[in-house]
Formats: sequence, structure tokens, C-alpha cells
Amino acid sequence: MTEPLLEVSDLKIHFFTDEGVVKAVEGVDLVIERGKTLCLVGESGCGKSVASRAFMQIIRKPGKIVSGQMLFRRKSDDGTEEIIDLAKMDPKGYPIRQIRGKEISMIFQEPMTSLSLMHTVGHQITEMIRLHTDTTPTEAKVSAIKMLQRVGIPRPERLIDEYPFRLSGGMRQRVMIAMAMSCNPTMLIADEPTTALDVTTQAQILDLMLELQHDYGMALLFITHDLGVVAEIADDVAVMYLGRIVERGDADTVFNEPKHPYTQALLRSIPKIAMQRDELEPIKGMVPSPFRRPTGCQFHPRCAQRFNLCNQVEPANTHLNENHSVRCLLYEDAEARTSNAEAAAHG
Amino acid sequence: MDVTLKEQVFEQSSSSGSNAPVAETEEERRLEVATQWQLMWWKFRKHRLAMFSTGILFTYYFVAIFAEFFAPWTRTQYIAEYVYVPPQPIHFFDDGKFDPYVKGLTFERDPRSFKKIWTIDQKSKIEIGLFVKGSEYKIGLHWLPIPYINNLFFTTDRHLIGAKDPTQPMYLMGADKSGRDIFSRLVYSTRISLSVGLVGVALSLTLGISLGGLSGLFGGWIDNIIQRLIEVVMSVPDLPIMLAIAAAVPLDWPIERVYFIITIIIALRSWTGLARVVRGKFLSLREDDFILASRLDGASQGRLIFRHMLPSFYSHIIASLTLALPHMILAETALSFLGLGLRPPAVSWGVMLQDTQKVAVIALYPWLLWPAAAVILVVLAFNFLGDGLRDAADPY
Amino acid sequence: MWQYIARRFTYMVFTVWIISLITFAVIQLPPGDYVTTIVSQMINSGMEDLPPDFEQQIREQYGLDQPMVVQYYKWLRNIIVDGKFGYSFVYRKDAKDIILERLPVSFAISGFSVLFIWAVALPIGIYSAVKQYSLADYLVTFIGFIGLAVPSFLFALVLMFFSYKYMDRAMIGLFSREYETAPWSLNKFLDLVKHLGIPVIIIGTAGTAGLIRTMRANLLDELNKPYVDTARSKGLSERALLWKYPVRHALNPFISTVGWILPSLIAGELIVSVVLNLPTSGPVIYNSLLTQDMYVAAGAILILSSMTVIGTFISDLLLAWLDPRVRLH
Repeated sequence: MTEPLLEVSDLKIHFFTDEGVVKAVEGVDLVIERGKTLCLVGESGCGKSVASRAFMQIIRKPGKIVSGQMLFRRKSDDGTEEIIDLAKMDPKGYPIRQIRGKEISMIFQEPMTSLSLMHTVGHQITEMIRLHTDTTPTEAKVSAIKMLQRVGIPRPERLIDEYPFRLSGGMRQRVMIAMAMSCNPTMLIADEPTTALDVTTQAQILDLMLELQHDYGMALLFITHDLGVVAEIADDVAVMYLGRIVERGDADTVFNEPKHPYTQALLRSIPKIAMQRDELEPIKGMVPSPFRRPTGCQFHPRCAQRFNLCNQVEPANTHLNENHSVRCLLYEDAEARTSNAEAAAHG
Repeated sequence: MDVTLKEQVFEQSSSSGSNAPVAETEEERRLEVATQWQLMWWKFRKHRLAMFSTGILFTYYFVAIFAEFFAPWTRTQYIAEYVYVPPQPIHFFDDGKFDPYVKGLTFERDPRSFKKIWTIDQKSKIEIGLFVKGSEYKIGLHWLPIPYINNLFFTTDRHLIGAKDPTQPMYLMGADKSGRDIFSRLVYSTRISLSVGLVGVALSLTLGISLGGLSGLFGGWIDNIIQRLIEVVMSVPDLPIMLAIAAAVPLDWPIERVYFIITIIIALRSWTGLARVVRGKFLSLREDDFILASRLDGASQGRLIFRHMLPSFYSHIIASLTLALPHMILAETALSFLGLGLRPPAVSWGVMLQDTQKVAVIALYPWLLWPAAAVILVVLAFNFLGDGLRDAADPY
Repeated sequence: MWQYIARRFTYMVFTVWIISLITFAVIQLPPGDYVTTIVSQMINSGMEDLPPDFEQQIREQYGLDQPMVVQYYKWLRNIIVDGKFGYSFVYRKDAKDIILERLPVSFAISGFSVLFIWAVALPIGIYSAVKQYSLADYLVTFIGFIGLAVPSFLFALVLMFFSYKYMDRAMIGLFSREYETAPWSLNKFLDLVKHLGIPVIIIGTAGTAGLIRTMRANLLDELNKPYVDTARSKGLSERALLWKYPVRHALNPFISTVGWILPSLIAGELIVSVVLNLPTSGPVIYNSLLTQDMYVAAGAILILSSMTVIGTFISDLLLAWLDPRVRLH
């Protein structure tokens, strides 16, 4: 049963810098389903963080959403559902602030710097609770302690008065999770939440997030470049390259039958225990400068399977089946290819 | 997976980066081979105000070196009669054709004091010209107190600008209480006021690098002592103590010695900032990989410091120095203004401003404030330049 | 925290001690034997009927015939134990009386200048950072540069010229005529506050310009920190999160600036007071240095410098109270 929560179509985000326009996100289509985990995968700089920030309208200057729709289905208490286009909302306005924290909340990569060191843990959590619910300070504190306990923090009633700089990285990330979960959001965005942590802590935090997702039934958008993590937690996977989703599908399909040459290359470049002695196969070349996007398919300069049309024609999204789509000329049928080529020649 | 995918992809692809299929642009290749200084220059060039300020400062120093040529009169020349003459502005056109001149002067007697009060005579006309003959002077580096170098000069009697008839008055910025030309004195004082800054910076550079370097390189108790010393120096209000030292300079000392003492006093207060910069850099560099690498290579301590550490922050030192210079110029001006710095016959902006201590004088003869404009302009220029340099110091 | 305060306190005492050494050196600076200078000065100024053993008296009182260390000890002891700073031969009063009469005004000016600097620099710095690259930001930056470049005494000169020319009176003095010689009272204080505006603006401008730049730079740094994103993602309004998080973080350097602002304020106050002829300790120091009235100069410098150091200490305490990282480490 699929029940879409957030439907993103043709999202474009450009950064208007002095040196020129950086097209960080150039037409992203995504569906995030209620209660499911979607992993957004890609190299650094491919636009995955920017895209996820767009869902909360917290893109940094000088970035702007230039086009696209982000339809969010909000259920009110009486069960009715309204559809809001997040892309149309004013980033500074009141309506989006009612979404942030309450409907969608976010965990960031750096637990060391994502919490304010000048305010106590308790202050930062209760602030969020009191912002979105009608509670007294004491009630807020009680539920903050409960939440801290839920994320596995020992003696939360003492820790609540501590400052974050006295906590370890893992503890801080737990605090971040507690804060993000404190208003029971319908969707949680986690932007590489385990990258800055050591390996054992990474595993603990991942387990905790899965457990919470199971208990609270929220949708999880997990952003990572770590395919090992993806394999562990994802229901669906979207692979991003240079501001576009190049392949999308359920985790099993993408891992077992990757179609896009980029996805295939990514999977080949991770070490597997079974092939210890073999050389890893890196992806050739580097991510191009954002100011000079390649023509045609963005990946063609690094692609091992490129052919003559690749540098001229932009591949369209090809649906291989209901749950699997890919943006690559290899999978477009001949008819679509020629019409695309003609369009490119004319336009 | 403790080595993340990103790192693998990046490390390995960058090692094969040279045969990357994407052609590099001209611009990128240029950036890759550029030295640090080139990068800084490219960045600095974009800072318009800093470039403009550099031009102004070059002009200042050029005028300071060849002051004798730019000043219509010599430093001490005066006409006793022309006391507090108002400025005679240059008129470029006469009857529609180019023929620069200044208007003449006329006076009336103050009915009580019988002093002459000068005003511009609208009718008379004094022709002026470029490269006119005036009093003979040496031009070159004769004023430097360094043997041999101060033989580099020649003698001439041409001045950049002046009245065609040298007996006629031409006070472009007016005259002071003894009938001396303010413009000429302003030009001459540029030399002292600007050089105080340079000599002071050289002194505080020596102090700052040696103490900051000691502090940062050795750490431990040496660092602790030097840090306390810096803290004390920084928290003591410097002006009263500078004044006290300056006030103790005997009145009969020769100009050069007073000049040197004043410069030392000024340098003593500004080395602390530089010492902190140097210390901080040394501390962070000590841990840096490239220093560790050359240490493992068996480089000597001296080689480490002078070949590897210092060059990596020359640019920061230069930027801090540029920002320290205006402070020194201001300090000299303030001391001399209060009559505790340089003394006549030495002439600096501060010395010239001494005359303006009384309100009545400013009210009657506001042109005496010209040196203030010179100070403000040069300090602004140094600040803009320093700002541009600081931005450019980190070109990456 | 107590350890931090204790450490800061030790530094403060240490600094004051160094200052006392410097000040003592100041007394020793004038060339020649001090007593002879004084005696000749007194004779010059018309006090011819000095007692015959007067020279001897002074030498004993200050221990001038004893080693330097003993002299220093006696001088310091006189100040700490008896509050005696020595005798002013120019004013013919106890140096203490002259200094104490002028000091309150100096403190008032410096204190109001600090308040003025904060009150102006904080909002402008914040605004300038939040609206980075706006017209207002450029304007503030440019005015700030000019504020930094114009030394306070030149600013005073120019203002004086304008007030003389266009306001028909020089802005000299800090008191209305009826309070000039009156003893201290609430009314005299209020009268002083009324006259303080212009000197405070003159003295505070450079500091304000500097602090605006500091605040702007700090806040620009803080505005891009991840915790701001966190706060925004909670649903806080822009205004609320600005004041609560980045401004709060940027405030730390702001508080500790008192430490470096005070010495330059004192310097500014001194030189501006000389120019504007204000009845503060500035002209006292200046004139006593010119006339080599060394005990007055030394006393004033010592008190003024010590007050600066104490001010820095207070700003350290304030920082500890404000910043948990300082407090808890």
C-alpha cells in the first residue's frame, strides 16, 4: 500500500553567486511515502542536502527555489487531509513555521555544532515543544525528559540541565534526535546524521532511528553517501548526480539490478568482504564544476558506456516498472531517443 | 565501513585527475599553476578601494621623498609680513584662455592691535607656472641618515609650481602665524609623519616576531610569561605613559634623537598585536602536516622556522603591519599636537596642528586645519589597503 | 568558575603591580635631582620663605636618600596605607585632592562612552550583518572606516570649529556656570550629564566604529553556523531565532571588548579633554607632565590605569556569567 506524504516534482534550486548561477538542484522528482524510509544517495556536492533543506524552506543564501512543486499532505486531528505546496510558501512566513518542527523536522550532520553551546539541552528541547504545543514550562520539561529517556540517554533528569559541550558526539546526536522527535513529526529528514560519529556510535544511532521510526510511524528521508547504511535501512533509494535523480526504485531492485551506469559504478566502488583481494574500481574523473555542467547527460564524461548521443541529448525519466525508473539513454526506446535528439537539435 | 565512499571516490579519482575526460578551462589551469603571491594579487586587484588607496599612498610617499621639488618654498622660508594670509586658490582661466594665476593680497589694519589683516585682492593677479625657478635645493636621498646613500642627490632650483615672479606671494593653503607657506610645510611634514610610521613598524615587527615567535615555538613557561607581558601592555592605558616618557625628553636634545625616542615610544605600544598573530600562527603551524613532514625529513629548527613556517604567513604579517601603520602615524600626530612629541624646527602634521589648540585660532584661521585632512586621508588609505590585504592574504 | 575568577584576579593584581612600577619610573624620569627641581620651582613660583630644612624634610618623607627599592616601597606604602600621593608644587595642594576632584568626571565620561558605544554599535552591527551587502550596510561600513580614521582630537577640533562658527559659542566646559565650583550634588551630576553628550560622542566614535565592525564580522560568522539551521528548522521566527542564538553567541567578543576599549577610551578622554579644556583628569595629567609636577602625574596615571585594569576584570566576570563554556571549564 502506498500512501504518498510528500510529492516533489521538477524541483529546481539555483544559487545566485557573484561568479555566476550554480544550478545545485536541476529538476528533482521524488515521492516520500508515509512511514517509509527513502535514502537519497550521491557524492558530495550533488545537491542532496540542498534538496532536503528545500523541503523545509531553509535553503541558505543565495540559494532560491526557482521552480517546482512540493506537495505535502497534512492530516489534521479530525482525519481530514489537506494538500499544501511547500514550494509556494514564504521561507520567513508563519505557515511554513507551522510545518517546521511540527510536521517535518530535521537532524543535521554535525552534532558538535548543530546545538547551541550557550543554551542547556533542556532549554533547546522545551523551546521546540512549547513552540508547537500548548504546554506549561513544567509539562514541556517532563516530556523533554521522557523523550531523552526514549533516545537512550541515561539519567535524563540530570542531563537536561547540562550544556551540549559537556556531552560526547553520540550523546549530542541523541539529543538532536530527541529534539527532532519531540513534537512527533510525520516526517524526519536526517542529513548524514552518522557521518561525524565513530563506527560503533554510528550503528547505535542508526538502530535508534529505525526503532523510533517503527514506534512512531514517521516517514524518514535519510541522506547519505554511505551505501552500507542504505542497504541497512532503506525501503526506497534515489540516486542523485549533479542535481538530478538518475535512478530511483525500491532498495532491493536498485542494489541487485542497478540500471544507471553511475549507480553501477557506485556499487562497484565499495569494498566487499568477498572480494578483499581485488582492486576497487573508482569512478573515473571528478564531479564537474557546478559552473560548467556537461551537455546532454550530466554523467557522460565519466561514463564507461557512453555513446555518440550522450553528449547531445538529455535523457528523460524512463519507467522500467512501477517501482523503478532511470534517467539514461540506454533505456529509452529508440523512438523516444530520436524525438529527444530532434528536440535537442531544434532547441 | 569506516572509509566513506566519498573519500574513496575522491581520492582515487583525483589521482587519475590528469586524464580526466573533462577538459580543463584556461582559467582553471591558470589557477592551478599560480603561486600564492599571484593568487593574492588577483584577489587584491578586485578590491577597488584598496587599489585606489594604494595609488594614494604611492603619491604620498613619492611626495615625501621628493618634497623639495613639490614644495614651492623651503621648510623654513617665511615672509614676516604675510602673517595668517588666507589661501589663494588657483584660477586656471583668464578671459577664457588657459592662463593660471592666483589673486593678490591686500590688508587693512586692525583698529586696536594695528596688526595687518590680510584678505584676497580681487583686482590684482599673480601669474603662476609649472617648473618655475625658486630657491636652490638638493633633491634625492640626502636626508636619509645613512652614509653613501645620502650622497645620492643633485642640486636644482626648479619647483613644481610657483609664482613666476618669486617675490610675489603664492599661499595655496594660506600662511601660518609667522608667514610660512602651509602647503610647503605640509609637503615637507609628509616625510617625517610617514617615516615615523615606517621606522616604528620596523621596530615593532622585530619585537613582535621575536617575542611572538618565542612564545609560539617554545610554549610552556616562556609562552606564559610573554602572554602575561602582552596582556599587561595591552591593558595599560598607553597615552598617559607615552606622554610621561615624552615629557621627560630633555628640551635640548637634537631633532634626530627626539625623533628616534618618539618612534620607539610609539613602537612599544603596537608590537603586541603582531606578537599575538605570530604566536597563534606558530602554534597552529607546529601541528601542521607539512611541518611534521619536514621535521621527519630531518630539517633543522632554523630551516623549519625560516624556510617553512615564516613564509607561510608573510602575507598575514604584511596585512597586520599595514593596519598598524596608521596607528603609529596617529600616535605621532597626537603626541606632537600636544607638544610632547616632535618639536619645531622639525615639522610633522602634529607639529603643524599644535597651532590649532586654541578655539579662537581655528575660528579665525580655519586653513590651519589642512594637516588634519592629510592625516585623515592617509589613515583611511592605509585602513582600506590593510583591509584589502587581509582579504587577499587567504586566497584559497 | 572560581578557579577562573581567581586566575583573572591574580592577573589583575599582577598588572596593577606592573603599572605601579611603571608609574614609579615616571616619577624618576625627569632629569636631575628631584628635590632641587622642586625647590627651584617653588622659589620660581614665589615661595621664597621656605623653612631652611625643607629640602631635608622632603628627602626624608620620600626616602630620596635611600636605595630605589626603599623609595618605591615608601611611595607605594604612602598610597596604600595613608592614601597619600605626594604633594603638588604647582597647585600647592595634596596631589590626592587634585586627582580626586577630577576623577569622578573622568569616570563619568568613560562610563557614558562605554554605554554610548554599546548602545550604538550593537544594533547597527546586527543590522549591518543581517542586511549584508545592502546599501545601509555599505554606508555603515564606510562611515565606520571614517570613524576609525579620524582621531578623536581632530574630531574635537573640527566640531569646535563648527560650533564656534555656527552655534556662536565654543563647546567648552562640562558644567553650567552655577555648578562649576559647587560641591558635588545630584543637581550638579544631572547638569554634568546634560553637558556630556558632545565629549562622549567625540570620544566614543572611534570605539563605536571598531565595535560595529567586530559585531558585524562576528555575527556574519555565527549566522552561517549549523545551530542557526537547527533553530530555524524548529519553526522559530527569524527575529526570535536571530536574537536568541547568533546574537547571543556573537555577544561574547562584544563583552570582552571592554577590555581593549577602556585603555583607548582613557587615552581619548585625556586628549579630548585637553583640546576641549574639560575639567577631567586629562588636563591634570597633561599639565603636571608639562610642569613636571610628578607626584600628581604619577598618582593620576596610577589610579586611571588601575581603574582600566579593574574594568577589564569586571568584563571578564561578565563574560564568565554569560558564557557557560567559560563558567564551567
